[in-house]
Amino acid sequence: MYFKLADNLSKIVLRCFIIIIFFIISPYTNATEKKNEWDIRAKKVSGQTIFFHAWGGAKNINSYIKWASDEVKKKYNITVKHVKVTDTANVVARILSEKNVKKDNNGAVDLVWINGENFSVMKKNNMLLSENWILDLPNSKYLDFENNPSLLNDFGVATEGMEMPWGVSQLNFYYDSKYINSPPRSASELKDYILRNKGRFTFPQPPDFTGTSFLKQILIELTDDKSLLKSEYVIHKHKDALSSLWKWLDETTPYLWREGKNYPPNYLALTELVAEREIDIGMAFNIAHASNAISEGKLPNTVRSYIHKNGTLANVHFLAIPYNSGKKTAAKIFVNFLISPEAQLKKQDKNFWGDPSVISVEKLDNNWKNEFSILPRGVATLSNDELTKKLEEPHPSWVKIIEQGWIERYGSNN
Amino acid sequence: MVNNFCLILSKVSVVFIGIVITVPIICGFLGFFLPSFNYLPILGKGELNLDYFYISMNIPGIYKSILLSIFTGLVSTVLALFFSQVILLYFFKTKIYNYLKIFISPLIALPHVTMAIGLIFLLSPSGLFLRSVSPWLTGFDRPPNTYIFPDEYGFLLILGLMLKEIPFLVLVSLSALREFSSTKFFDLGKSFQHSSFSTWCILIFPIIYKKIRLVVFIIIAFSSSVVDMSLLLAPSTPSTLSVRILQIFQSSDMDSFFIASNLSLIQLFIIIISLIVWIFFERIIKLKFFYIFFLKITSFKLEFLKITILCCSIILFLLSFFGIICSILWGFSENWYFPNFFPNDLNIDNFLIFYYQNKSLILISIFIPFMVSLLSMSLTILWVELLDYLKITKTQFEWIIFIPLFIPQISFLIGIQSFIIFFNYNSFLIPLVFVQLFYVIPYCFIILAPALREVRSDYIKVASSLGKNRLDRLFNIKIPLVLPSLLTSFAIGMIVSFSLYVPVYFIGAGRVTTLTVEALNLAISGSKQDVGIATFFQILLPILLLFTIALINKKAIKWQI
Repeated sequence: MYFKLADNLSKIVLRCFIIIIFFIISPYTNATEKKNEWDIRAKKVSGQTIFFHAWGGAKNINSYIKWASDEVKKKYNITVKHVKVTDTANVVARILSEKNVKKDNNGAVDLVWINGENFSVMKKNNMLLSENWILDLPNSKYLDFENNPSLLNDFGVATEGMEMPWGVSQLNFYYDSKYINSPPRSASELKDYILRNKGRFTFPQPPDFTGTSFLKQILIELTDDKSLLKSEYVIHKHKDALSSLWKWLDETTPYLWREGKNYPPNYLALTELVAEREIDIGMAFNIAHASNAISEGKLPNTVRSYIHKNGTLANVHFLAIPYNSGKKTAAKIFVNFLISPEAQLKKQDKNFWGDPSVISVEKLDNNWKNEFSILPRGVATLSNDELTKKLEEPHPSWVKIIEQGWIERYGSNN
Repeated sequence: MVNNFCLILSKVSVVFIGIVITVPIICGFLGFFLPSFNYLPILGKGELNLDYFYISMNIPGIYKSILLSIFTGLVSTVLALFFSQVILLYFFKTKIYNYLKIFISPLIALPHVTMAIGLIFLLSPSGLFLRSVSPWLTGFDRPPNTYIFPDEYGFLLILGLMLKEIPFLVLVSLSALREFSSTKFFDLGKSFQHSSFSTWCILIFPIIYKKIRLVVFIIIAFSSSVVDMSLLLAPSTPSTLSVRILQIFQSSDMDSFFIASNLSLIQLFIIIISLIVWIFFERIIKLKFFYIFFLKITSFKLEFLKITILCCSIILFLLSFFGIICSILWGFSENWYFPNFFPNDLNIDNFLIFYYQNKSLILISIFIPFMVSLLSMSLTILWVELLDYLKITKTQFEWIIFIPLFIPQISFLIGIQSFIIFFNYNSFLIPLVFVQLFYVIPYCFIILAPALREVRSDYIKVASSLGKNRLDRLFNIKIPLVLPSLLTSFAIGMIVSFSLYVPVYFIGAGRVTTLTVEALNLAISGSKQDVGIATFFQILLPILLLFTIALINKKAIKWQI
């Protein structure tokens, strides 16, 4: 018993000692203060386990998360358990039910990979850690929030520092250049292509994220007044705005793969279909998807990517902490690691994930700058110049409307 | 004094076990029943009304989903029943008959998901079947644009369900056949100059059917609410009701929980309607008119019909067999594009990577079934012994344990889910094991309890006259005597638990997953190689288990003699 007492006492003394030293040093340097404070916080949560709820459908992303978890385990002794979810809406529903039964601490979710409509639901229902926490993280200094407003806007909704940018994605298409010379580069060209090649095009079945995004892409391309889509959907004002999309789909649906009576469940299933040549064109949000698939042997190496002439949907994906997480500090430490140059470099590497980094290379020191510049780009990945034309996401309220409209028209009456 | 204490203790235990088993069943039922009438005070809904029925019925395409569920459930059961009998009839009194069980056990051991994946690999437009005839016969150098497999009407789903149900029905029919002098009946029929087919239909099948009726009902309930197979094999615009429930449940707004609960209740109605339809047809077939009709129609020796049916049965068997082979082949393949019949390269890299990344997954997929099966076995033994001790002989109320098999899995788990949130429970493994018990105990019980109760009382009397107490008698006499049943029930328990999808999906909530869930996830969004490897483990584990059990059984029997 005395041993235990002595042990505890020594721990307390040690902690006091650290705090005293911290107070002595703190007035001198501002930067080290932030860092030291960070280290102390990290020590406090050493040994904790956090549950990171993230979509777990893609093997390369899962391996990347595994790598990052192993690193924070080594560095901070924090265990990250990746809960592989099939649909992030599930996570939102879970937190919502926890909120409803007033389980306000120690919730099941400590960190969630999120964007768009799910974020907007969580923000609206106050289900997120609401303080502006992202700037507290030391590594946030690598992100250029001033010149890059998309890092603080999620589908047009201000993030108010409730979620940390993790990566950038842009809708892109891919095809096998061995069989197709020039792929269709706009909604109208695509329509002609579909009508000429019966059964060789499809998209993931909405409400899948990529499938719905494809519909949004077509809607934006067909809409002349783009500002219309920026505001919240109001039925009497915007009802006609969708008619062009429905007309496009009415004409093309009978000519889709399996006559539009069956759809692949998600973008990864499209890859398999392109590989088997059941369909001609695939799509993904990860700009390195085709290159990844080639290096994993899932697609032939003649596959190339392209985007539409007027650009394609681009968005940022984020990390957010639910309001009722019991391990917010540990979650922040993991997030801080995920936006570090080391982790972002690995993420951008086509051999891992290929997801473009969110940090600005100009803010890095020369060493890291060099590392980023020598990073190889996959054979089927478009260059940054080719990806400059980006379309902004419509207001999140349009998502449900498009999904429901599609399900009613094409998804429930074959 | 001590005796008195034991008596009270065992009475308390009986009541306790009864409560532990019945209360969650009631909770699971109320958990979706009440919300479907807009009642769940904890979420601020305290007013009973029918609003959600109105909303549910206005979901686009919901009637099609409902019809699809009823259609696939009933048709697959009828066909499976038919083919199981044809197979038995054909092999009855042949040498193979004695080995039929051995052929069929591995097929029963495979999870539904595995069978579905095998079918997709075989029959999809880029599957092995079309590869085998392309391009030399069909001229296809790329997969054709067809909508035959999978189809609009759910026939592929029916086929998948049949492939799983036929072996199961054959197995239960086999044990039913052993319970009466079937060969004598058969010979009797033949001596009246009936064909084998009509003999079977008129003399033997009615007796078998009486014995397996409950199993048939369970199959109807299961197949009209199956989730995992529907996700892979059913059409998607719209899918079966169970899949729609899952999709709606996954949505992020609170209303969707109530709509999903409501649809769960409708799913239960569907099962009840299907059973009523089934019983109605049972009645009709029992009429004398049909009896004579059958006698007439089946007495023709229709060689052609016989050959067709036989061919169909063989095709069905080959489908499951090649589906499995094809899945395994995908696991080790590389660069396998249409129309190549065989992969360009074979390697085990993918396999090793999968194994290293999923070691814990494989372990937990063995651990959970082991625990669940062990627990249900122990509970069954305890229950039977306690009732025996208390001299309770009326055991009609034991049918309660079969209720979870009749409530659609998805409905029951949505119901349980609302209680688990309520209890604010933060562990996932223990609730999962507990919930799985409800799906495993019925099977353990139905095998083990009769065996335990049929142990000849002479042995027990002799033992007690030698001064052996109850525990000695249980472990030294009863258990060794029923060891084969004990091992069978253990194996079946593990297999049932191993192949469960819905409970793991809901209760595990992503934190605890098993191979079955992972294989389905991969089949939806993964590379074919990974699906193949996951399937390989799904095939390997149950077969290893069966093999081990058979080995132990053999040794144990030797030791007995």
